[in-house]
Amino acid sequence: MSKDKREMLAGYVDGELPENERLAFEKELSENEELRAELEEFMTLKEMTGIMSYADLPDEVWENYWQSLYKKMERGFGWILFSIGAIGLLFYGLFQFISELFYNPSVPILVKIAVTVLALGAVILLVSFSRERLFAYKHDRYKEVKK
Amino acid sequence: MCTDRALIMDIQSGDKKALGMLVDKHKKTAFRIALGLVGNKDDAYDISQEACLRVYRSANTYDNSQPFMPWFYRIISNLSKTWLAKRSRRENKMVDVDDASFLLIDSTNPEDTMVKKETAAYVRNALLKLDYEDREIITLQHFRNMSYDEIADLLDIPKGTVMSRLYYARKKLATIMRSYYEQR
Repeated sequence: MSKDKREMLAGYVDGELPENERLAFEKELSENEELRAELEEFMTLKEMTGIMSYADLPDEVWENYWQSLYKKMERGFGWILFSIGAIGLLFYGLFQFISELFYNPSVPILVKIAVTVLALGAVILLVSFSRERLFAYKHDRYKEVKK
Repeated sequence: MCTDRALIMDIQSGDKKALGMLVDKHKKTAFRIALGLVGNKDDAYDISQEACLRVYRSANTYDNSQPFMPWFYRIISNLSKTWLAKRSRRENKMVDVDDASFLLIDSTNPEDTMVKKETAAYVRNALLKLDYEDREIITLQHFRNMSYDEIADLLDIPKGTVMSRLYYARKKLATIMRSYYEQR
């Protein structure tokens, strides 16, 4: 079927064709059995969906919509501030800890070595796990399969 | 009554009351669009709220020379797509296909309610099997009752494209529906 006819069929079903196009399409319809069958199929579909509408929510949900949204905004802002503060404190604590560890002569050399090795191990593990997860995700042939 | 553009301009200057007014005006539309796209009431509610938050956060990127609704629709549509991608990965969360809370039947006559309920269940299932783009165009035309001009404006596509997309989407929906009926 030509592109024009497809578009006209859709427009005809929805009553969107101007008068002259509608008349031309009806003439085409009277001569084209395939087109009539498609029209019938589409009209049935339109009739079926015509008896349905999307569900709505109870009135009290709509009444509390703004309040609920405002709380989300407030909490979002709270989380941003909390995260900035926490990250700042974390870096400050880490800086203090490293300074204390390496510049304080009273800390035994064994502790300094152990902490360095521990940190190095943690970094290697983190990189290794991340790489593995990334590799698994990229090569998962079934990631689009619905479970 | 303030226009959407006037409200957005107020939001750009940090006016939360304007956001409240804009939300009040469009919350149901946002929910219904999202519901049509994701097929789940709870998620549609969350998406509609997240879309309103994005309007607030991204108000400064809004081009005041353009109408508000297509911009807002793109936000809802992008959020819905992201949500659907997440759902296809986890897929444990079921859509409301069978509990009739997604599509309702407009009927007060108990005699034909049973038949209509069954039809509604088939339509729900068939809709959720469509590609995103097909479901989108069907939702806007069949369930939001939007004209072709309105859909073209909303999706920023020519009217002819609306017509051909509708044609193909209906073809696919009809094929899916037919296979359901044949299985009965």
